Amino acid sequence: MGIFRNISTGLRALFGRTRVEREMDEELRGFIDASAGAKQRAGVSPEEAARAARIEMGSTKAVKHRIRSAGWETAAESLWLDLRYSVRMLLKSPGFTLVAILSLALGIGANTAIFSLMDVVMLRTLPVDDPQRLVLFGPGRMVGSTNGLPDGSWELFSYPFYRSFSQKNEVYSGVAAIDSIEFGPHGTLAGGSSELFRASLVSGNYFSVLGVNPGRGRMLNDSDDKTPGSGAVAVISYAWWQRHGSDPSTVGKSVRIGGMAYTIVGVAPAGFLGTTVGEMPDLWIPLAMEKEISPGWNGITDKWFESLNLIGRLKPGVTHAQAAANTNLLFKQILRSDYVGQSTSQKELAKIEHAQIDLTSAARGLSRLCVRFSLPLQILITIAGLVLLIACANLANLLLARGAARSREFALRMAIGATRSRIACQLLIESLVLALLGAIVGVALAWNASHVLLTMANDSSEVAAMNVSPDLRVLAFSFALALFTALLFGMTPAIRATRFDLTGSLKQGRGIAVPSSGISLARGLIVAQVALSLVLLAAASLFLHSLVNLTRADTGFDKQDVLVFGLDQSAAGTPLDARLLNLQQQIEDRVQAVLGVQAASFSMFTFNQGIWSDDVSVQGIPRTPDNSHDVLYNVIGNGFFSTMRLPLVAGRGFDTIDKADSPKVAVINETMAHIFFPDRSPIGHRFGMGDDPAHSGDIEIVGVVKNAKYMALAESPEAAAYFPYSQHLQYFGNFSVRYSGQAAQMIPAVRRAIAEVNPNISINETSTLAEQADASTATQRLIARLSESVQKLSETSQELMSEGDVDHGFC
Amino acid sequence: MGQKTGDMVQGTLEMLILKTLALEPMHGYGVALRIEQVSQEVFRVNPGSLLPALARMERAGHVKSEWRSTENNRRAKYYLLTAAGRKALKQETASWDRQAAAIARIMEA
Repeated sequence: MGIFRNISTGLRALFGRTRVEREMDEELRGFIDASAGAKQRAGVSPEEAARAARIEMGSTKAVKHRIRSAGWETAAESLWLDLRYSVRMLLKSPGFTLVAILSLALGIGANTAIFSLMDVVMLRTLPVDDPQRLVLFGPGRMVGSTNGLPDGSWELFSYPFYRSFSQKNEVYSGVAAIDSIEFGPHGTLAGGSSELFRASLVSGNYFSVLGVNPGRGRMLNDSDDKTPGSGAVAVISYAWWQRHGSDPSTVGKSVRIGGMAYTIVGVAPAGFLGTTVGEMPDLWIPLAMEKEISPGWNGITDKWFESLNLIGRLKPGVTHAQAAANTNLLFKQILRSDYVGQSTSQKELAKIEHAQIDLTSAARGLSRLCVRFSLPLQILITIAGLVLLIACANLANLLLARGAARSREFALRMAIGATRSRIACQLLIESLVLALLGAIVGVALAWNASHVLLTMANDSSEVAAMNVSPDLRVLAFSFALALFTALLFGMTPAIRATRFDLTGSLKQGRGIAVPSSGISLARGLIVAQVALSLVLLAAASLFLHSLVNLTRADTGFDKQDVLVFGLDQSAAGTPLDARLLNLQQQIEDRVQAVLGVQAASFSMFTFNQGIWSDDVSVQGIPRTPDNSHDVLYNVIGNGFFSTMRLPLVAGRGFDTIDKADSPKVAVINETMAHIFFPDRSPIGHRFGMGDDPAHSGDIEIVGVVKNAKYMALAESPEAAAYFPYSQHLQYFGNFSVRYSGQAAQMIPAVRRAIAEVNPNISINETSTLAEQADASTATQRLIARLSESVQKLSETSQELMSEGDVDHGFC
Repeated sequence: MGQKTGDMVQGTLEMLILKTLALEPMHGYGVALRIEQVSQEVFRVNPGSLLPALARMERAGHVKSEWRSTENNRRAKYYLLTAAGRKALKQETASWDRQAAAIARIMEA
């Protein structure tokens, strides 16, 4: 009950100031009069009595102050006064204030920007129902497909496996499947113009397992995902719906992709961006339509085609450990019964023995970005933290000097009754004002900076698609950081400032009275500053050095003057047979004929696009631990080596004589030649894919080519083999062109040439091979550039500070 | 500002005020006078301590105040004990009795 009265009395005291003041005066006067009256009655003269009564009371101001301090409003009021006073004092030395705010803004801004990136990549949970109960099968690093029985930890699964697992499992209330690849088909909405869709293929129960409610219409359900090819429905993302005018009649319309019309049944809720961090699908389509979306993928019926990520929702009461045990038990049962059958080899049994599923939390979704960026981000935030520490040390030093210069002011205030703690408190408030202003400017900077960070790290469109605007959590972080820094740089100077000899300071006038311990403190701060700056400098140059090393690394191929077109060949509607081969050769020939084109070739991969690797068995050479590692494979056109300028070391490249029905051939790289044929020529020898010696005579080696980097500039040389696409029929997503002249003129010319052969083949993106090589070091470059700029920034703020020092002399 | 509260035991002032007001509503000077007289001038309550103490107790809800006219027809702020104040007095008296008895035992030992 007292609380309300307390608050209302407090408010009355704050706002009905004059009345309260008058009543207090009256009470005090009444007291003195009564006391004087009593003394008079006891025989003291009236003047004496009045004097004695007043002496008993003491300073009425002090008594009134003590009466007032019975309530909270006094604290609030003195806080307000201190705040006003602090702002006034800061405005009195604008140079110092500006420098302090700027250097803090840079420090806090850098931290906020990096933290907001961390927030998106590592910390944000999915906007779904109870995300903590979601688990991902495997660490979720791989994209694409695997086949066979992977040894060890599994992370991609086939559709038949998913079906039998989710039927038999007892620990999950539901298991959802997501194709690890985001598809990018072209399509049209209700007869409109052709556009690129980012499509995620998911199981029918995807939305219900996650607990995502429809924004509009309905989400997918199990019946959409029952029979292959029969679930031509789609859920569209809220962002896509908005981009298309938020038209309520969109639900019910259809999207046409590759000859199929997908009825839009609903719109996902606004916050839901899918389960993979950095990817924002436009469409969710049932997995049953996989073959229709991507004709090369036979995942629905092929139990060896493993391309799905699985996410399960734990049943209530089931612990993580129980789920892990149960999952692995069922996993091995299914492997034994469905995968290997009767004629199980010893090796297969061993693989099943080693096979396991590591459950990881799916609360934050699948974050491949997290795997890639978590260490760099941690390094960066440490660096940014150092910068802020330097700024704090700097500022503490300046405040110390300022405190010494203001000692007369403090002495005066103490002489007229201010307590030491009151002054220290006011100084802390000054620091707090500085820090908060710094934080505000810093957050404003960070707002833009995190986008700049992204562009710097931008090695793929997925990163650019992320939403990195600071949210409440980030703002809270910056605010906490500001409080922390204020305490860090403000505390010691505030306490130090009030520790002096009062009369000495007053007599000295404007003299500066820094106690000797203050000087040693200042020295300590400078030492700390220099040390931290050195650490920064060392880190920056280290990162820069390793980056330079990377960019100087010999790629093997010549990355200059090569354009790489990303295209969707399957859109041409050509079936996977000799007609496709014919189309591919036609395109290559037509583009070769374009003026300025030196060579052109399809390929499964160019640098840093992915990996196809498998075991190898070489005819006549027994397997030893030294030679049994995976070989990296690539499927290429006849012009690939000249497009990449990869010189042949021995034998020949591929030619028109290598036909679909002629003997299978391969070109291997120097490392593979060295491993298997250290002292003789490999030409004419044979090998097979996989570890089965029965196949070791499948493929003849016709050439040896120079080593080239496959996935990363820093990788050590690995065994690799190339096959001609005439003998490995597939749809390609890559087309490389070596040219002379201007890239800007080449791009439309090549596009035209391809369109002349088949206008339905859509080109999604164009980059240069040099860009691809650069992109592979994006993370390192990001760190190097950032640590460098952060180090520069810290230098700038220190320079600003020392200028501020000069300015400070006038305040 | 030399405010000597006699040698009053720390924290007992509010208890003495409560006890004094339990008899009848009084103004500030009345309280001071009463404590002085009853204690036979052992305790002299200084207004610099008394008035802030009353303000604190009013905030705590132990007393409330109203303006009344005094016996010689002047306006004065009278303090009255509330129900909460009565309860507080009871508690403080009990704990004081315990402490005093304990101290007495120690001193006599």
